[in-house]
Amino acid sequence: MTIVSGMFRPDLGPEVSALTAGYQLFSGVYDEMMDADGGIRPHWRAFLETLAGIGTQEPAARFAAADRHLEEAGVVYRLYGAPGAGERPWRLSPLPLILPPEEWKILEAGMLQRAALLEALLADCYGSCRLTAEGALPPALLAGSPDYLRPLVGVLPPSGRHLALYAADLVRSPSGEWRVLRDRTQAPAGLGYALENRVALARALPELFGAFAVERLAPFLDAFRSWLARLRQPGDAGIFVLTPGPFNETWFEHASLARYLGMQLVEGQDLTVRHGALYLKTVSGLVPVRVLWRRIDGAFADPLELESRSELGIPGLVEALRQGALDVANAAGSGLGEATALLGFLPALAPRLTGAPLILPNIATWWCGQKREREYVEVNAASLAIVRAFRPQPLMRRGPEGEGPILALQLPEDERAILLANIRRRGMDYAGQELITLGTMPAWREGRLEPRPFILRLFAAATSGGFTVMPGGLAFVGDEGALPGPSAFSLSIQKGARTADVWVLSPGGGSGRGAEDHSAPEAKPLPQKASGLLPSRAADNLFWLGRYTERAEAVLRLVRALAQRLTHGAGSVTPEAAGTADLLFKWGAAPAAFGVEGLAAAAGTALANAGWQGSAAAVVRAAREAALPIRNRLPPDTGHAWEELEAEICAPADPGVHALAAKANRMLRTLAAISGFQAETMHRLAGWPFLECGRRLERAIAVCRFVRQFAPEGGVSPAVAALLLELTGSQPALRPGPALDGAAPILALVLMEKGNPRALAFQVERISELAGLLTPEGVGSPAVAGAAADVAAAFHSLDAGNVNPQALLAIENQLMRLSSEICANYFSVREVLAPSSTLRRKAP
Amino acid sequence: MIYEIRQRTSYVYGSLVPFSRHLLRLTPVSRPGQKVHSRRLTIDPLPSERTDRLDFFGNRVTHIAIENPHQFLEVLTTATIEADPGSPPDPAASPPWELAAEAALSLPASDGSAPAHHLYPSRHVTLHPAILDYAAVSFPPGRPVLQAGIELVERIKQDFLYDPASTDVLTPVETAFAMRRGVCQDFAHIVLSGLRALGLAAAYASGYLRTEPPPGQPRLEGVDAMHAWALVWCGPELGWQGLDPTNGRRTDTDHIILAFGRDYADVSPIDGVIVAEGGHALRTAVDVIPISATSV
Repeated sequence: MTIVSGMFRPDLGPEVSALTAGYQLFSGVYDEMMDADGGIRPHWRAFLETLAGIGTQEPAARFAAADRHLEEAGVVYRLYGAPGAGERPWRLSPLPLILPPEEWKILEAGMLQRAALLEALLADCYGSCRLTAEGALPPALLAGSPDYLRPLVGVLPPSGRHLALYAADLVRSPSGEWRVLRDRTQAPAGLGYALENRVALARALPELFGAFAVERLAPFLDAFRSWLARLRQPGDAGIFVLTPGPFNETWFEHASLARYLGMQLVEGQDLTVRHGALYLKTVSGLVPVRVLWRRIDGAFADPLELESRSELGIPGLVEALRQGALDVANAAGSGLGEATALLGFLPALAPRLTGAPLILPNIATWWCGQKREREYVEVNAASLAIVRAFRPQPLMRRGPEGEGPILALQLPEDERAILLANIRRRGMDYAGQELITLGTMPAWREGRLEPRPFILRLFAAATSGGFTVMPGGLAFVGDEGALPGPSAFSLSIQKGARTADVWVLSPGGGSGRGAEDHSAPEAKPLPQKASGLLPSRAADNLFWLGRYTERAEAVLRLVRALAQRLTHGAGSVTPEAAGTADLLFKWGAAPAAFGVEGLAAAAGTALANAGWQGSAAAVVRAAREAALPIRNRLPPDTGHAWEELEAEICAPADPGVHALAAKANRMLRTLAAISGFQAETMHRLAGWPFLECGRRLERAIAVCRFVRQFAPEGGVSPAVAALLLELTGSQPALRPGPALDGAAPILALVLMEKGNPRALAFQVERISELAGLLTPEGVGSPAVAGAAADVAAAFHSLDAGNVNPQALLAIENQLMRLSSEICANYFSVREVLAPSSTLRRKAP
Repeated sequence: MIYEIRQRTSYVYGSLVPFSRHLLRLTPVSRPGQKVHSRRLTIDPLPSERTDRLDFFGNRVTHIAIENPHQFLEVLTTATIEADPGSPPDPAASPPWELAAEAALSLPASDGSAPAHHLYPSRHVTLHPAILDYAAVSFPPGRPVLQAGIELVERIKQDFLYDPASTDVLTPVETAFAMRRGVCQDFAHIVLSGLRALGLAAAYASGYLRTEPPPGQPRLEGVDAMHAWALVWCGPELGWQGLDPTNGRRTDTDHIILAFGRDYADVSPIDGVIVAEGGHALRTAVDVIPISATSV
């Protein structure tokens, strides 16, 4: 297999030779760095010399720093499917793919042409349909694509353009030519990751950026943003990024690009269509939206007229598009351009639609929906990959039809016969594609360079005159050695590929641009537009996050108090312990139990058994669930703290109430840290009043509830006094001096004292302030203001010297009503799909 | 044959709905074989938004939104329709089914009634080896496509039990097939699944079927409801031909098409979203009242 190795080259110097020693080319594979004779290609020489010049140990440390940077910046990629599903740090292959100017010229021209070609094709298929009418494109080819969205036929985007962003995946053929593996017209991903890779690498290797004139990415992103901004209309609220939400594999990218480009991240539930126009639901009312950058599949954009199973879309969006009320980028039906079978037609369509043959050809493809092509594939099945004609979708499962391409050659005789019979019967479901071999590029492996197979993703964005291509991109680098044939189809991040930065060298070469331009040109995000918009759903989650955070604290304090009281009494249950347990039972934190051992078990349940919806475990989970959709609004550290808290709950516990109390104590400390992050780092405009209001409201309820439970008629024994101080967290508020004696001072401290931040009085005062500040404009809802006034009135009629359960309960009820008013006035209700009508014939 | 059709469709919500948005496919249109003389769609409560248009498949779709709190939605369709499908073609003279399949792929037509759109699996019509094998019995090599199609629906009439309790609107086609039970919707989907697995173009139609009252008795209101059947594309000359598996025969002047598409999802009489604060039970009641059926 191996025919050429890197060898000592006197002209390169010993350091470079050491780096490339053992670099083993694969036979019949084009390598980016080394030519077939083992020589280093000219555009790699200077890079290797600079890298070698950093020292032998230093690069490893630098690359590790780049990985750390990505991790700390929170760059993640979400993996689908158990086990091991979840978030994974983005993995950088630190050596860039280097593209010299003359090579870039061809790639750029080819990308511009393909983008224009697919734009013209989409315009025709959703417009005049001349290509099908004139026989240039079989109608069955459109009809078979699940991304051909029939309700959008005849709907012209106001901008006149279907593609705002286009991407292509390219491979280097053995002869050194670039070939397109697939086009990406739906909602191309990777732009944000390309940017993060560049920032991380620029920090790790400033010398390299200083030494080379690497084209910057920022101008392209500016151009893309300008294009979207051009589509805005007077009175709208900016550009919105429609994401499927935090569970999507590339949610991080959606959030980071939105931040970088100064756009607002929204989900389908945040939007609504009224009178044929699109609006954002905010706490201040409906705000018009005219430009939506779509990061969900077009078919999922409207459950009413498109994929009805979608929970990601906006009911009525297609009707709004029909009325020309907004631009969706890319246009909702643009996924059609990704149909695999289409690749068989692009070579012939290019001269017709762009006036020239393809500059960047794609891999040869034969759609079996045509007689001649089907016969060709049948005859040559052994030397082709058999693929789904459109995209992975449920087809009839018989024979060897799993995911991905099929190599007929590798099938047993009987399965091959079934496959060929399927192709003969329903050829339109299949396409044959030439087998391809990926080229290789160097990757860093334990201090040395090794060739690895890769795929290059490039991007183009719409401009008023056509398109512009990003001078850079993303290289997906395989973890294993070069695999010939269908490896190209399976190289994906889901399967463990790393990505590398892509450097396009400026014409003129040398170090023309100066280090300061390149040190971290993309690291400085453009300032986000100061936007006061607060989507209702974000406010909803913030409010409940506040309430759950406080409720978690209250439950943990109860558990700790109970556990501690069970350690004191030898064998008997004190009234305080019984009362504490009783409250946990009433809150649904554990099943009712009796006796020391029964209560100890109940305390354990109330802490860690999420099956009880009032338990600390369940409340912490609810808090995390509320936090997840709004995590781009929360300080990053709180995310880690919640994870620690959940891990703490799940950790196996030592037996015994001592250990339980200690565990509750640790968790309370973590919770205090979360509160600190929230209070100290959250921007006060970004919905913070809702979070704060939720917290104050819940804490006020808890204080009332504690007093009502333990001092219903105002009588307070020393044991109860200690318990109340502990549960309300008011010990620190005790002033130095003689111990508080009697009920009145204790109750005054936890209920009335405005200076005690744990006292009811403090909460009520904060609530009164916050109720008028909930919306960014500071104009509150009259109903909410009224409910807040009622809370204050109920509180003022409370007499610390004459506490009674009715008075406390009245305050609690007013607090609950305020919560309901906030929910009803600021949070939107979701539009749900009505069950499919069951109109059926009753009798034959 | 002229029919007067009256259909009342109503949703009753469990509680007050502050906002709803619906797509109604409840207005018949003129098509080959049927002519609409008059029609009216009455919606209560009065929608705050309403647009009417033809969809991709040529069906008349009414898009409505209701912004005021409401507890029900009632849609009344009235229409006078003349059915005249012409004389039925001779099944034995239809082209071999393989030729019809090949022609469906190559016909350069791309509108909603073009066979190309009805070749592929769709939301409710997935393809399954068992259904293919069942259908293939009627399709030996070279057999005229319409003849084979008629035999297929005759076999379904024979082999399957009409049983409204056995399935609901979301029952997968393979489940109904395995049970050998279902209603018109299930049988139509089974026919489509078998025909498409063979490579033929097959479409779904919903509409009305005249039901003869028992001798000497008046027609009872509410006896009839919506019906559904299949169509198979028989080549450029014969085009679409209706096959009614529920009754085991070809369609004729008794069949009035309300909507046409790839499967139930394309013709569903009402699709909608409502703003709901919790679980809301929806109820649907349908009355189809053919007032007269006069020969002309």
